[in-house]
Amino acid sequence: MLLDAHVGTLSEALSGRRWDPGEIAEQVVRRSTCYHRAGVRSRDRVFICFGNNLEFFADLLAIWHLGACAVPIDTRLTPFEIETLARAATPRLALYLDTIDAALSASLATLGVDIIDSREADKGAWPTNAPPNAQALDQHAVILFTSGSTGNPKGVVQTHRSMRARWMSLRQNLGVDAFRRTLCLLPTHFSHGLVSNSLYPWLSGKDLVVAPAGSIDVAMRLGELLDEHAITCMSSVPPIWRIALKASRPPAARTLQRAFCASAPLSAHLWKQIQEWAGTRNVFNVYGITEAGSWVAGTSMNDFEPEDGLIGVPWGSLIKVMKEGTTEQSPESGEACRNGELGFVWVNTPALMQGYFDRDDLTREVVRDGWFTTGDIGVIDHRGWLYLRGRVREQINRGGTKIYPADLESVAERFAGVRDVCCFAVEDRLYGQAVGLAVVLAEPWNENLRGLHAAMKERLAVFQMPARWYVLDAIPRTTRGKVNRATIAAMCAERQPVDIGAQASRTE
Amino acid sequence: MSRADNKPKLIAFLETIRRPDVTLESIGEHDDLVDSGLLDSLALLEIITFLETEFSMDFSDTGIDSDQLSTIANILDLIEPRRT
Repeated sequence: MLLDAHVGTLSEALSGRRWDPGEIAEQVVRRSTCYHRAGVRSRDRVFICFGNNLEFFADLLAIWHLGACAVPIDTRLTPFEIETLARAATPRLALYLDTIDAALSASLATLGVDIIDSREADKGAWPTNAPPNAQALDQHAVILFTSGSTGNPKGVVQTHRSMRARWMSLRQNLGVDAFRRTLCLLPTHFSHGLVSNSLYPWLSGKDLVVAPAGSIDVAMRLGELLDEHAITCMSSVPPIWRIALKASRPPAARTLQRAFCASAPLSAHLWKQIQEWAGTRNVFNVYGITEAGSWVAGTSMNDFEPEDGLIGVPWGSLIKVMKEGTTEQSPESGEACRNGELGFVWVNTPALMQGYFDRDDLTREVVRDGWFTTGDIGVIDHRGWLYLRGRVREQINRGGTKIYPADLESVAERFAGVRDVCCFAVEDRLYGQAVGLAVVLAEPWNENLRGLHAAMKERLAVFQMPARWYVLDAIPRTTRGKVNRATIAAMCAERQPVDIGAQASRTE
Repeated sequence: MSRADNKPKLIAFLETIRRPDVTLESIGEHDDLVDSGLLDSLALLEIITFLETEFSMDFSDTGIDSDQLSTIANILDLIEPRRT
């Protein structure tokens, strides 16, 4: 049963390691005992600094057993970024696997965060005084940091109640039979991979097969892995599908009953290619929103043809398109768009986040009267089908990974040689979007540019680093100091980007 | 086309897809293109497309191993299999 968390089997696609439900139950007892001894109590927060393996899921249940909140950390983040998150979230404990960066370990210790190697947590004699289950529905279950790893972290708080509301709605709309053996090759630190792709089937008693996140090797062997593990269901993002379609042979065993695609726009062309490759028409485009508990809508209609922008029907959510997209006016009293009229997409769901962690100010900017303003532009047609047509929020969607310009700018601005800086989305053949950076430098720019590049590289994860660099004389701003990123992007598009590689190599 | 003919073509192509902060001169023929930081891992997709269009190769039925695309030497081997 879903609410009692009767888990299915866990296995790792590449290593072949496998834990059945009995082993998982033992792991949870051992781990929760170990973490309880380390001082973890109800309402504490615990960082999990790894993912996509057996230990991650056992640790998640152990943390929940203690009534604590799990904070899955993106393994690609730099020590600087993890420390920033730790200052904001003040975890009691950080779990890691095998090794941890020495400087990070020292800074976490300074912040009073204990550190435990997860592989050591299940060692020793069987505990005779295991802690009791301290879970409660309205406790924080997870915090998923979506931005701000360089300065002002924004963490989405989901309670057990909101997550269970999401799973109940998925069960109503999708059932669980097709999820019998589900593959997760998405990162378990973000909601698409964690809440919908992994926890929904696994906590419904279905078997979960996990693979390294975003691995090109996995994508290139996808057909083989689907056959080898008799996978019935999986989800992914457009760039991974593109790799699989090009480099992997199609699955031959025809076990795949359903495939999902979310987190980035899916073109009708790619959609049809996936259907053909996967051998099933049941390839669903999905609208996933971390703040709304992951998957809120999708193409589960009986009869549809892939179309650009087609999202489909709500899953356990109310969705409406309004003429206003800000919380200054309640969406309940505002003017709704007519069918076919473009507007701002709002979502109302019992799976809505409790709020951004310790940031009520940010929460008020996006939630009003239980409705969440998504920042997306969309339209609902006469059949009630939702289409997305664009986005108003300042974010760069790099193949499903969201990058916020302000995070990068806050790092660049700390560099003394920078007078002004602006980050924006640029078109990218692989990821759809990548980061462009325009900078105004104070002094002779070669030295400064090399220094800026080195400073950013030290503090930012590789996926956040700008792909194109532009040096400008000035960045146009309004009298209130605001910048129009689209204007800057258009200005830069007419210039040649700086060969930052040649600049950087001169320092070596 | 010989290996000597293919290499400049491949190098010229890699120059168009490399990461902005790493130069081709900094890596050797046997260095891993992704581990060295020259390419984003997803750029392997671009290499496959290059091989399909420039050398009429087709991997759609058989698939391809990422090792075969991991270095300049391996890609040249793929284009012109060594005869033993």
